[in-house]
Amino acid sequence: MSTFIQVILRSLETGSIYALAALSIIIIFRTSNIVNFSQGSVAMFNTFVVTYLFNSLGINIWLAALGGILSAIVTGLLIDLVVIRHTKKVHPEAKQIITLGMLMIVLGISPLIFGVDPLRLPKLIETGNLSIFGADISYNGVFNIIFGLFVMGGLFVVLQKTKIGLAVRSTASNEHTAKLMGVPTKTVTMGAWAVAGVLGVLSGVMTAPMTSVTLHIMDDVQLNALIAVVLGGFQTFYGPVVGAYVIGIGRNLLLYYGSSVWGGQILYILILVFLVFRPHGLFGKKIIKKV
Amino acid sequence: MKKIIKNPYLHFVILGLILALVPKMAEMGLIKTSYLTTLGGTFIFAIAALGLNILLGYSGLISLGTAGFMGLAAYLSAYFTSDMNIPFELSMFLAILIPTLVGILIGLVSLKIEGIYLAIATLAVSEIMKKTFEEFDVFTNGFSGKTASYPTLLGTFELNRATTYYFVVVVLVLVMLLTYNLMNGRLGRALNAMRGSEAASQAMGVNLLKHRLIAFALATMYASIAGVLYVHFIKYAYPTTWSLNLSLNFLSMIIIGGLRSIYGTLLGAVIVFAVPDLLLKQIPILSDLSYVLNGILIILVIIFYPNGLIHMFTDLKKLFGKLIKGEK
Amino acid sequence: MQNNLDNSVLKVEGLSIAFGGLKAVDNLSFEIKEKEVFGLIGPNGAGKTTAFNCITQFYKPDSGSIVFKDRSGNVHNLLEKNVHDIVKLGLVRTFQNVELIRELSVIDNVLIGAHVDFKSTIIDQALRLPRARKEEKKYRAEALRVLGILGIADRADLPAGGQPYGVLKKVEFARALMSNPRLIILDEPAAGLNDIETAELSKLIRKLRDELDCSILLVEHDMRLVMDVCDKICAISFGKFLAVGTPKEIKENKDVQVAYLGIEVEENA
Repeated sequence: MSTFIQVILRSLETGSIYALAALSIIIIFRTSNIVNFSQGSVAMFNTFVVTYLFNSLGINIWLAALGGILSAIVTGLLIDLVVIRHTKKVHPEAKQIITLGMLMIVLGISPLIFGVDPLRLPKLIETGNLSIFGADISYNGVFNIIFGLFVMGGLFVVLQKTKIGLAVRSTASNEHTAKLMGVPTKTVTMGAWAVAGVLGVLSGVMTAPMTSVTLHIMDDVQLNALIAVVLGGFQTFYGPVVGAYVIGIGRNLLLYYGSSVWGGQILYILILVFLVFRPHGLFGKKIIKKV
Repeated sequence: MKKIIKNPYLHFVILGLILALVPKMAEMGLIKTSYLTTLGGTFIFAIAALGLNILLGYSGLISLGTAGFMGLAAYLSAYFTSDMNIPFELSMFLAILIPTLVGILIGLVSLKIEGIYLAIATLAVSEIMKKTFEEFDVFTNGFSGKTASYPTLLGTFELNRATTYYFVVVVLVLVMLLTYNLMNGRLGRALNAMRGSEAASQAMGVNLLKHRLIAFALATMYASIAGVLYVHFIKYAYPTTWSLNLSLNFLSMIIIGGLRSIYGTLLGAVIVFAVPDLLLKQIPILSDLSYVLNGILIILVIIFYPNGLIHMFTDLKKLFGKLIKGEK
Repeated sequence: MQNNLDNSVLKVEGLSIAFGGLKAVDNLSFEIKEKEVFGLIGPNGAGKTTAFNCITQFYKPDSGSIVFKDRSGNVHNLLEKNVHDIVKLGLVRTFQNVELIRELSVIDNVLIGAHVDFKSTIIDQALRLPRARKEEKKYRAEALRVLGILGIADRADLPAGGQPYGVLKKVEFARALMSNPRLIILDEPAAGLNDIETAELSKLIRKLRDELDCSILLVEHDMRLVMDVCDKICAISFGKFLAVGTPKEIKENKDVQVAYLGIEVEENA
């Protein structure tokens, strides 16, 4: 029983990471109608910034993380100003390819700036363990779970209860109409890219202590987040988040009780099969296209 | 006479003959022998990119699994010829057939819904394949890499590097011919119609799922052909080769070179693979940046020159024509 | 199927469809006879387009029946068919905002209309075997003939992208005609045309009906065209059936006047 709880606690931690990344992807999808394939690589870049601030400049880890958040906001704004803003007339498929181009740029530039050696980034809370029903979880793990929920909860409150949220939701449901109603859709889109960048670096800082900071640190997170979005459906903000936790839990259960090598791959296949029966995901609805 | 000169088939054959001169030029010492490997590799990559161009250019679907399928075919062919001693021709056939069937299965699952699902599904599949290449030692020899030999045709003709290069060129020309035929006939029209307007194409009787599947199956098939050629020309396969980076390079090739253009794909392959290898190597900084440059080129081409660089030639001709007329 | 359609080609009965509680089409019934030009009219948002999207199976209606008789006299329940199978039965449509492929030539756009008639396999096409070549030649000639009927054969090899709007409409017509249809549904063909072009269009519609021996369902906004060319008209408003009859009857129908023509029937006031 305690191992089971242990597995679930770990899953909630990875689930939080996937959920932040998935939320980052769905926010961009809903506001810019782009599936952002560069999400993970931009998160990787900003995680490197945090690592650089911490390792090379010796800045306190919390301040370094704050620096990463600032750099994520800047990169997010830059992406919108330099690239996305100029793609209004571009075909939707081509927009996804543009994000793949951004992925290549970030992937190519990062080693030139940060080198190719794997780097280490410690936990935000370095020591301490909590015991729940005989299962161990680090304070950092507890922090990650709660902080993830807190960030997402905060975002949902903003989306549902505030004027800014209304602007975002109206842009998401119909950009053209929103513009006519006086919603500053350009600012909304730009803000979305900044927020998406922040969510990315948060997931990166949470991932880093479990592995080492390399070019490919976010590959796994990015893929799971994308699949979480498919699983949860593209039509809601909460669907992908739920999908992310489902994947976090399912994956760890399969890795622990199934196969430690193939657990992740088995999960992908299970999800593909699930989509055969529910093609629009857990919370998605079939959209009737106007002809 | 004019008709003969304009015959597109003749153009492909002439191109093939020109490309076939490279080994002779290397023999005569006009170019380095190492160029042979680079160019052969470029043509192999061009074959896979042609398949992706059918998928993306004609039907507007993105696949991120090109490298994965190519790798699968490479390992299969290496395994069949080296470990099971199956003749090259049969092994090639099986190594193309199996990944294509896998591709159709994945297509069946993901293509029923929105087009973007294919990109995500193929990303997941390439991840599954990467893991397989790394972990499934018996079949792939893991991180040590799998070796293969130059092909032996009809059980008697043992090819060497130069003759395998000829073989690659012949396959490239054949693939170009097939692509030209398919894309200028009923299938090409249907795919075009589908990309232009799903509703209109359906009203004209185009079965969306079926045609998306055909396009994806063709893309997988071309990638598999490229995989088989690769492993028997380069003679080894490592799991790290078949990464997302490679798939993205294929995408760069067709975007930069030109969507829906056969020659554009070849031009793209040269820009993405041959240029960094042949020219930029001398300048280390540029060589490190080539991946970044490709990324930047993708974005610039999509925003400012969406038909690709292959149209530069005709556009330049027009521009010169205008300038000359203007002077008069 | 038991349903005997006599000399009708299409029979719609009790057609209803709702989007999120809003009834877009409510219990609509009508019947189109052979060689008839039938108009479906109604104010904006009346459900005209929805109704014929149901007929062509782009939408699956909530209830009702739609049956269609093909050239050989077989009666089909359209609700059982896939969108892409409709054209095979001889029912073809055009689109309100001309849906053509700009990069292809005019004739290639028209040839898409023959998509379902091709018999050659992928391998035939890949290798350009005689069978594929012969077929391609045959339908190319047919496409030229159809373009000739519409008077734009000289533009066959030009890219569709650069053609004027009036020509594009004709290209779309030509594409629809390639399938040798029994019933053509025209979705607001007069949209974006000027008076002269509209007059030309009504001539063309009659010519098509006579030369190709088919029925035409006209979903239209432009009253002049409808009154001019239709044998029979069905008027709807807010998804509900209002009246059916000859153009004259429809013009004089009080309900139609109120709903469509916007005349608040002044005489009564």
